[in-house]
Amino acid sequence: MSSHYEAPIRKPLVIGKKSYHDITVDVARPVEGRANKLWWRVFAIALLAFLWGVGCMAYTVGTGIGTWGLNKTVGWAWDITNFVWWVGIGHAGTLISAVLLLFRQKWRMAINRSAEAMTIFSVVQAGLFPIIHMGRPWLAYWVLPIPNQFGSLWVNFNSPLLWDVFAISTYLSVSLVFWWTGLLPDFAMLRDRAITPFTKRVYSILSFGWSGRAKDWQRFEEVHLVLAGLATPLVLSVHTIVSFDFATSVIPGWHTTILPPYFVAGAIFSGFAMVNTLLIIMRKVSNLEDYITVQHIELMNIIVMITGSVVGVAYITELWVAWYSGVEYEQYAFLNRASGPYWWSYWLMMTCNVISPQVMWVKKIRTNILASFIISIVVNVGMWFERFVIIVTSLHRDYLPSSWTMFQPTFVDAGIYIGTIGFFFVLFLLYSRSFPVIAQAEVKTILKSSGEYYKKERDSKEGHQSLNH
Amino acid sequence: MKSIYKIVTLAGVAVLTTSCFNKERPNYQFMPNMYESVAYETYSEVPTTVFANGKEGQLPAEGSVPRGFQPEEYADTPEGLAEARLHLKSPLTADEKDLEKGKALYAIYCSVCHGASGDGKGNLVKREKFLGVPNYHDRELTEGGIYHVITYGLNSMGAHKNQLTQHERWLVTDYVLKLKSE
Repeated sequence: MSSHYEAPIRKPLVIGKKSYHDITVDVARPVEGRANKLWWRVFAIALLAFLWGVGCMAYTVGTGIGTWGLNKTVGWAWDITNFVWWVGIGHAGTLISAVLLLFRQKWRMAINRSAEAMTIFSVVQAGLFPIIHMGRPWLAYWVLPIPNQFGSLWVNFNSPLLWDVFAISTYLSVSLVFWWTGLLPDFAMLRDRAITPFTKRVYSILSFGWSGRAKDWQRFEEVHLVLAGLATPLVLSVHTIVSFDFATSVIPGWHTTILPPYFVAGAIFSGFAMVNTLLIIMRKVSNLEDYITVQHIELMNIIVMITGSVVGVAYITELWVAWYSGVEYEQYAFLNRASGPYWWSYWLMMTCNVISPQVMWVKKIRTNILASFIISIVVNVGMWFERFVIIVTSLHRDYLPSSWTMFQPTFVDAGIYIGTIGFFFVLFLLYSRSFPVIAQAEVKTILKSSGEYYKKERDSKEGHQSLNH
Repeated sequence: MKSIYKIVTLAGVAVLTTSCFNKERPNYQFMPNMYESVAYETYSEVPTTVFANGKEGQLPAEGSVPRGFQPEEYADTPEGLAEARLHLKSPLTADEKDLEKGKALYAIYCSVCHGASGDGKGNLVKREKFLGVPNYHDRELTEGGIYHVITYGLNSMGAHKNQLTQHERWLVTDYVLKLKSE
């Protein structure tokens, strides 16, 4: 212990006097216990929302896209808004598990599992939209370059919508593998603790026969580092590609080179906000306050603040460039955002995304759980409106005034969005009761360096030693 | 051994999934969105509620004349034929006459009975499917008469106005006269 040096300024990441066994018990408790009434109620609501969404999707596919509020001018609205929003939310998960791993941030260990789950579940939601917004979704397989009987007719690789296909599918599969490899030791823990033959069997299958030998751990670490190294450029490129849907167009308000980094920043911003929303609830209902501490929330708030500021700078840059460009279409696009018929969505976005994260400068607010929770939701509302504003306000008024129009969503637009939120929570609620929501194997590696009890022990010992010297 | 089972299973599945195709019938289609025409296609059947005879091809109104078409001057009667023999002249100018084209058309529509050289010894005659096709050299032929016969037919010969346009009939007429002159 005395050979270990950690700066005394670092706050503990695991509260209380925990042993390895305590961690195991705390992580396994929600999985091994039975769901309470509250869980069932929330699950039922989420399931109903999901089923309603499925109904709306079936109605859309069966009847046609005309059931949505789209028109000939505004061909993309809620569908792509929701798609980008969900993809953006997913990005925080990979950021937490990959980027923070590369930066050796130990505080990620308590939150990475849930953040990755959130990634996967939200990318699943996002993945629905590219399919259901198609006029003929049953021909969606044509986006894949498969040899075929049309003289081997292939796709055009110049479209960012095709890049989206590759980006999202790669992103989902890499995230899933990354998540699952991380789960192996934790599933093995649940397997070894299982009492009923059924759970034993289930977790035996899920854990792939993990036995935790030194060689396994060594390779496990290497694989994680490699995957983190791969996932980091992936997370940047995926949302960049999503932003290319707009940035590569000729529409004033879309055609900007700032979109790729600005979308990525927005994705991290909204994603961290979502992680905060979920974890603030989870630490409470799953009794994980000792692992997901106020410090974790504070650090996430700081990231929200930083990325929120990046987004704010991007907004100002866009406005500046629009004025500086001397292009009247560009200038009008931003004038229209600020004072056109969708002024309220623009100012709502500005308020939620630029002002709300700035309150995090105040330590009292960023360490306040309730305030963090509220702001995390405000941020996600703002980020939804950011996508809405970019998409709709740029489309509904562009080059030809004769094509100017308005966009009015229908209940189907809203129903599908609600449905994806429901589906997300169905998955997340099921996850939180059947998966180890904290990477216990990882947390155990920092227990003795960053656990509150061990830090105190060390401090007192060191203090004692220094007195002797 | 295991891999053999797998291969057999795969082959079996492949056979099962492809054996549903019946050669006597049109094959199965996946989402035939625009396979069937919404508009009535030429020669297609239409509901009898739309046209009484259920055919897409309806006859034009009696006496109507489409653009780029002149009704025949001479009637489909023996008198008409006699008149045409005397008075009907080819409208083709020297530039428009095209013996190559006439020969090609003759080879398609005429030579099977009349023979390539117009001697009345076409393939069908040689095979004795039917007899009585005259040699052009044995007949008095005028261009008006030939045109009239091609248009309306004569005796065993059917009308060819459905196969050949007016212009083409004159080309063939020209070629028949050439054959006769040889």
